[in-house]
Amino acid sequence: MKRPLLWLLWGWMATVIVAAFHWAPLAEGFLGQSSRILFFHVPMAWVSFVAFMVAGVRSLAYLAGRRTERRDQAAAAAIEIGLLFALLATVTGAIWARIMWNSWWNWDPRQASIVVALLFYAAYLALRAAVADREARGRLCAAYATLGLVVAPFFYFVLPRLGFTLHPEAVINAQGKVEVEPRMLVVLLASSAGFTALFFWMHQLRTRLALREARLLEGSD
Amino acid sequence: MGGPTWVTAVNLVIWTGIFLYLLRLERRVNDLERER
Amino acid sequence: MSSGWTAEAAAVFAKDWRAERRARHAVATLVLFAITTLVIASLALGPIGATPGERSDVASALLWILLLFAAAAGLPRVFVHEEESHTATVLRLAARPSAVFAGKLAWVASLLALLEAVATPLALALFDLPVASPGRLVLALGAGGAGLAAATTLLAAIVAQGRGATTLFAALAFPLLVPLAVLAVAATRAALGGGDAGGVLVQLFLYDSTIMVAGFLLFPVIWAP
Repeated sequence: MKRPLLWLLWGWMATVIVAAFHWAPLAEGFLGQSSRILFFHVPMAWVSFVAFMVAGVRSLAYLAGRRTERRDQAAAAAIEIGLLFALLATVTGAIWARIMWNSWWNWDPRQASIVVALLFYAAYLALRAAVADREARGRLCAAYATLGLVVAPFFYFVLPRLGFTLHPEAVINAQGKVEVEPRMLVVLLASSAGFTALFFWMHQLRTRLALREARLLEGSD
Repeated sequence: MGGPTWVTAVNLVIWTGIFLYLLRLERRVNDLERER
Repeated sequence: MSSGWTAEAAAVFAKDWRAERRARHAVATLVLFAITTLVIASLALGPIGATPGERSDVASALLWILLLFAAAAGLPRVFVHEEESHTATVLRLAARPSAVFAGKLAWVASLLALLEAVATPLALALFDLPVASPGRLVLALGAGGAGLAAATTLLAAIVAQGRGATTLFAALAFPLLVPLAVLAVAATRAALGGGDAGGVLVQLFLYDSTIMVAGFLLFPVIWAP
């Protein structure tokens, strides 16, 4: 990626950070300054979803079109980074839950859903490690990631609402309607854009690195 | 109050650190690719 | 053309049942596991004076945990033994991939149905459960079982080509089956206790369909080369 663009990304995110803590208003119904976490927590969760979709699309392309090494590695890289962001989203969510409800974890439907997604894609890595043959590995992992293409939206958008209707406790789904204030919305969107750009940069790096490693391993046979 | 300012500063330091790390990674990958 | 497909699928199904009747591996393991779990749970929970509603809650969850664990214990090797005994190659030549998937799916589904037929009456008896809507109970068991069968068959096909099939299967199956279990437990609970099972059943059917369609589409690729 071009150097000036990257420095622009730095500036963008730096501005977002400052704005998150000094420019955006606090949200109603939140304890103290805690609503500021949302400017990082929500974009990270969103980016993890984007990452998994990227993996799914690359995998579908792998299966339906030419089965290139690049597509295979791109899918794996996307999932690795997606897992990282999902984990960060989970942790920031737990921190915030602790502040709001004095409990790190209570299997709130949203918390449960992101865990299921995490486990699903962690299993992808387990699958990748378990298959030795390169052709089979590419094929099976691509199939699994393609399955993820349909299943992940369910985990991210349907399951949280499902759980809500099943458990009668009045758990306030605080990720619902927060973006009422225009300033908050601006920071949230800017943060999401920044994190998304960050993902694509990281993804590109990881894919290129993985391809290099694969070439090196090949060469040493 | 030093609260938000302190947190902002910490976040900026963390972000800049991550950014510089990724920049270095970019440079390394570029070098590796140029070797070929 | 379609009669050829049905014949192929039926042949796969029949072959597995024939092999099972000789070895009696899968059915015995599953049934034993089911009975043991239910008995232990019933013994442990007996002394605790629980209301019918609470018993329904517990038994519903228990029943599905049992079905999931039985599937995870007994079914990962559905495709592995084909690879090991080298009948896989013959199978690839003799039948279309979708027919193989259908046949295997039917085999797994019939095993699970058998397991449900044993475990459910036992659970009803041991926990002294009220059944508000038998029809909905059957639907819940059927829909949950079908989804479990589809997911299990698909994942068994994937792990057959890797190392450590059973452990890998557990890792892959859990995330996929948790939403299914949540829905199935809710539907079962409602059927026993008399709540609204309708909406949940619809969602269960949707989840099942998604997995089945994905299974039929992806299996040829997995079974492949």
